Amino acid sequence: MKLILHDLGEGYAELLERKADRVIAADGKYAPCQGCFGCWTKHPAECFMKDKLQQVCRQLGEADETVVVTKNLYGGYSTAVKNVLDRSIGTSTPFSTYRGRQMHHTLRYGKKDLWKVVVYGDITEAEKATFTYTAERNAINEGYERSQVLFLKDLTELEAAL
Amino acid sequence: MRTIFINGSPKKRFCASSYFLFLQRLFVGGEKVNEHLRTKGDYQRILDRLPGADAVVFGLPLYVDGVPSHVLGFLEEMERFCKEKALHLKVYVIANNGFIEGKQNEPLMQMMEHFCQRAGLTWGGGVGIGGGVMLNVTRILFFIQAGLLMLNLLLSGIQTGNFLPTGPLYSFLKNVAWLLYFNLGVLFYIIRMSSAIRKGQPVGKGYTRILIPSFVFILFADLFFIIISLFEGGLFRGWLAKKKPDR
Repeated sequence: MKLILHDLGEGYAELLERKADRVIAADGKYAPCQGCFGCWTKHPAECFMKDKLQQVCRQLGEADETVVVTKNLYGGYSTAVKNVLDRSIGTSTPFSTYRGRQMHHTLRYGKKDLWKVVVYGDITEAEKATFTYTAERNAINEGYERSQVLFLKDLTELEAAL
Repeated sequence: MRTIFINGSPKKRFCASSYFLFLQRLFVGGEKVNEHLRTKGDYQRILDRLPGADAVVFGLPLYVDGVPSHVLGFLEEMERFCKEKALHLKVYVIANNGFIEGKQNEPLMQMMEHFCQRAGLTWGGGVGIGGGVMLNVTRILFFIQAGLLMLNLLLSGIQTGNFLPTGPLYSFLKNVAWLLYFNLGVLFYIIRMSSAIRKGQPVGKGYTRILIPSFVFILFADLFFIIISLFEGGLFRGWLAKKKPDR
């Protein structure tokens, strides 16, 4: 199953829905993670906050290929996209293991294929390096076999990148 | 010298970030301002504190290999504010994560450095700490040990008239020495950073962790979550199951 998480706004809805099985719009109309671990310890893979991200970890968990389309912010995801990712830690379990020679949580939904990040907006070379490194880290953390980061000159290149 | 300490944990109290900032404040002189950044409602109050400050120390938890989203929103506002007011603060970071390797904080540290470059601020560097939650637990254990010592001294005094028995005192000092040992790496980097803050110099990036073997840490971490999940009920609600979305 292919999932696209994006912060592009409604203008791109038709294109994105054509390219994926499920689309999550990071529109900022939800609360940030409160760090309570309830999605691990109280109500597995579900958030206590009853907004549109309440079950986002279950949605992300089902994806085999995830494409994140995001504006660059300091070499990382935009605030709205990062908010969605912060609310998705229930894709893993609270148990720990070793992956990539470091400690990580075991995977609730098992191994996945591709973590792809499509970045638009002004970006420096140093920020590109950070983004690539972060995507690699995300892929290991979330159990993806591989990661890929594409930097767009502008959004006319979006469709080919998806 | 005026230093602003910003706790970026969304938790109301007793978070690991507040513990590390507490330790940092012990070794920094001058005027110290403490702020807790939890929601958008905190943004303007904290921004208004920045003019006139020499340095800002962020205490941040690592969320999904990066800066927590509510802090990112603040950084965007802070970038605009600092440019508008032509502020040139020095920014230091104490990052911590739940895994044992402090190095896992590296992407967060790089993002904070890029933030400084965008905002025209001076990147002072900082420390990434592994095992933040467990180190925070050592703070609780210290208070439990101190409480037990007071109780022992009181009981000894009532029963024997000796309010300073050596046995409980020795036991207390031995246990506190262990707690101190677990924190030694953190203390080293925090004291080093305090010196840099006082001198207004960058400290570079360093990484440390709770000083116990990794496999022991994992056992304790698993046990911690089993106990919490038992009390909160998640253990009985398909704790490790592949939950399907309702829609």
